[in-house]
Amino acid sequence: MTGSQRSCLVVDDSRVARCVARRILEAHGFSVREAENGKIALEACRQEMPDCILLDWNMPELNGLQFLRTLHGEYGSDTPPVIFCTSETDMKYIEQAIANGAQEFIMKPFDEEILVGKFQQVGLL
Amino acid sequence: MRRAISPQRQAPKEYAMDDLLADFITETSENLAELDVALVKLEQVPGDIATLSLIFRLVHTIKGTCGFLGLARLERVAHAAENVLGMLREGRLTPTAEIVSLILTTADQIKRILAGLAETGQEPAGDDEALIAALNAAAAGEKPPVTAAEPTVAPEAALAAAPAAEMPAAPAEPPQPQPQAEQPQAQEPQPAPAEAARQAAPVVSPADSASPAEAAPSAQTIRVSVDVLEHLMTLVSELVLTRNQLLQLARKQENAAFSLPLQRLSQITSELQEGVMKSRMQPIGNAWNKLPRLVRDLSHELGKKIELVMHGAETELDRQVLELIKDPLTHMVRNSADHGLESPEERRAADKPETGRISLNAFHEGGHIIIEVSDDGRGLSTERIRAKALALGLATEAELAAMSESQIQRFIFRAGFSTAANVSAVSGRGVGMDVVKTNVERIGGTIDVKSVPGLGTTFTIKIPLTLAIVSALIVEAGGERFAIPQISVQELVHARTHGNGNEAQPVIERINTTLVLRLRNRLLPLVALNELLQLAPFSIEEQAHYYVIVVQVGANLFGIIVDRIFDTEEIVVKPVAAILRHITLFSGNTILGDGSVIMILDINGMARAIGLNAEEEKYLQGKMLSSETAVETEKTNMLLFRAGSSMIKAVPLALVARLEDIPREQIEHVSGGKVTQYRGQLMPLISMHDQESEEPTQAVLVFNDRGRIMGLMVDEILDIVATELRIELGAARPGLLGTAVIAGHATDIVDISYWLTQAHQDWFSITKVEQAETAARLLVVEDSDFFRDLIGPMLNASGYHVTAVPTAVQALRLRDDGQTFDAIISDIEMPEMDGFAFARAVRAGGPWRTLPMIALSSRSSDADKNTARESGFTDYVVKFDREALIASIRHCLARPPAPALAA
Repeated sequence: MTGSQRSCLVVDDSRVARCVARRILEAHGFSVREAENGKIALEACRQEMPDCILLDWNMPELNGLQFLRTLHGEYGSDTPPVIFCTSETDMKYIEQAIANGAQEFIMKPFDEEILVGKFQQVGLL
Repeated sequence: MRRAISPQRQAPKEYAMDDLLADFITETSENLAELDVALVKLEQVPGDIATLSLIFRLVHTIKGTCGFLGLARLERVAHAAENVLGMLREGRLTPTAEIVSLILTTADQIKRILAGLAETGQEPAGDDEALIAALNAAAAGEKPPVTAAEPTVAPEAALAAAPAAEMPAAPAEPPQPQPQAEQPQAQEPQPAPAEAARQAAPVVSPADSASPAEAAPSAQTIRVSVDVLEHLMTLVSELVLTRNQLLQLARKQENAAFSLPLQRLSQITSELQEGVMKSRMQPIGNAWNKLPRLVRDLSHELGKKIELVMHGAETELDRQVLELIKDPLTHMVRNSADHGLESPEERRAADKPETGRISLNAFHEGGHIIIEVSDDGRGLSTERIRAKALALGLATEAELAAMSESQIQRFIFRAGFSTAANVSAVSGRGVGMDVVKTNVERIGGTIDVKSVPGLGTTFTIKIPLTLAIVSALIVEAGGERFAIPQISVQELVHARTHGNGNEAQPVIERINTTLVLRLRNRLLPLVALNELLQLAPFSIEEQAHYYVIVVQVGANLFGIIVDRIFDTEEIVVKPVAAILRHITLFSGNTILGDGSVIMILDINGMARAIGLNAEEEKYLQGKMLSSETAVETEKTNMLLFRAGSSMIKAVPLALVARLEDIPREQIEHVSGGKVTQYRGQLMPLISMHDQESEEPTQAVLVFNDRGRIMGLMVDEILDIVATELRIELGAARPGLLGTAVIAGHATDIVDISYWLTQAHQDWFSITKVEQAETAARLLVVEDSDFFRDLIGPMLNASGYHVTAVPTAVQALRLRDDGQTFDAIISDIEMPEMDGFAFARAVRAGGPWRTLPMIALSSRSSDADKNTARESGFTDYVVKFDREALIASIRHCLARPPAPALAA
């Protein structure tokens, strides 16, 4: 992976949230793909697995947790690091997310400092 | 610390929030539109988990994204709503009407803040405390107090504004309260994103476009700025023009070398044009998605139960047209709910379901989109409209008396016309149907209304799919060419200036000083384009023939005399230059294939210029049909012929079995008359006069009466004309029912039952005797004098006792008087109360409740038949199938009637 650009899949049903994440991540050298729900994200992963995933919780079609479970079911330990993205109303799901294989979680709304901090913590930056 | 609060962090150069805000406004507007629909659905199906989850997610997303932009006010409101929705979703609260209303109010508040944001780039100042308090109270399971902010509001609100304050692992930094609210971004307020947002808003596509290549999984749709599409459209228009020019050149050159590639270019251009047009198309549903909410609010406001049904929401039209039609549609739905539909009590009293229905229906029809807005309410009150028209001095009593129902109904499109007795809070906003009409006409559309008392009203709007490229007829007058939009063109007529006796040919005449076109049974106002545009002097005597374009403006038709008619062409509409804009005769200009610039005629403007209005039209129709009654009747196919006198005679075509030419030598004279061998039978031949014809063959109308045949000898068969029959019965002589005006001529309507008895005298006397004892009693309800007089004797002759009345109301009066019958035969299309309503009234109760009822109609669609059955009719017979009617009566009575023709 060294030398080549790292890729991140941003999964969120809000265009605005995806846009914010994309700008921050691209500024730090990531190539970013976007998916607006878990179902589309799953297809994206099957096409080409990203180096990491920034995952929202509450989405139509397939929500964050369902996506995480399916992905782990298919790829097991090959699943890339997943940063679970949540807002304070979702807090009770953080435990569930970690239990289902998320590496870290991050609170919405995030800014550059927070997002970069989390990525460093997980060793992606 | 969680929040991007400090100004330098809020808008760092590399992530300038410019179009992020625009994006946010677009996204949130879309979410709100979806939210409205979902909330209305929730109210209909309370506790539906999928709907609840959707609503929660929408509000959750709104709240979540506010945080990124530091929109504190929005976030607090959304957050409070989210709390309530969370409780609903988890089943800890039930979605009562109050709570749904509260959420809707919240959505409205968010919309208001959003509007301010779009305007200035900043959240507008305002106080949401009362709303938030109400939401919090609802979340706490209390009855929403709506006002009175609770003491707990402030701290909670602060929490909402700094959502991450109690996050574990978060380094403690005091929650930052309000200041950032007023500065969502460090940049100066900028109109650009707001503008962009407004323009981008109508483009509904779920996916993102930031970089299509990378966003592969969601790349099915991309967002494109409307400016780009507009520009593309302009370029394609130019390309189409250039292509047309090339084609014109090539036609003259006969040079094969470039004709093939040119053909290809032409085809590709057409496809490109189609493609670009398509990219501007949007489903009409986008203009409708606000309506469920509107109807829901109206039903609460008005205390009516209203169901909104939408068909054809996927029908596409140009976004520009879509934008322009939105407001008129909203107004029409509002009108239907307010004026059209009755209160539940009134509906119950009228035997209708309590819940009124408003239907929207959209479909394509030949390059246009048709939108119907209908309700099943009380229908337009012609009485009230008439009274109002009189009061406003729009027409005199005599004029009104001569007008048809539909002409009177069209008064509602007049400026300042509103019949609502009490101007309500809903419709009385100074916007009437006249404004709707003006708006529809402005985009080259037409609007019409059809209303049946007691059954409802239907407005039909016909608009072009696009305003950019229209189909137009190119004509010439005074050496100049002009384009007439195809949507207005009804027909092209080659009219004579002097009648030649052939009634089928249209004739141009002068009545007083007005030029008119006598077309079939109508007189249409005429205008010579030469004269109107002062291109050349016009004198009707100059030519024997003229080309006339018959165009429609609303319900009015008029004719335009032109010198030549060319072709129909797809033209690119260019707006009229400012310097010419005061001339209302033109709606734009265009460039033709040969490079010449021509003007597009504005038919509405022309109608105004020649002073055409309803009165004029009516005046002309009045001249035409002096005996016109106010009620419109259905059209009947009449066979016109001549027999004996020069007066034209007519019979309903449906009664005639065949037309035959019988060689004179086959006609035999027997005692008291003539007969001929016809299909193995002896057919009596009846003459309507005494003169012998010398022609080698005799024209005969063959009538078939349940196995019995009769031939009516005529001199000449002239024509078959579909016409509205209005008969003056006073003029009747034996053998004639009366006189009617058909195709502009007084015509004798022949009484076939009379001539039948002439052929079979014995036949009548037998039945007369028999029926006295055994005949079943039939009630015939038929508004047309003609049909009533036709059916009555006919059924009588078949052995039934017949009572005939002209209206359903009179029929019901007979019921209330205690009269009894064995079966009822009723027309469908009748004024006041139609056949369907009559059947429902009969079935609703009373002594006639179980009587067999037979519907008689000139319409024969399955839908009509079904409606008839649903209304309570036992059977349905198409006018004028005599055999079927008799069979149906026999069947319904389940016993044979008097053996009328048993002999």
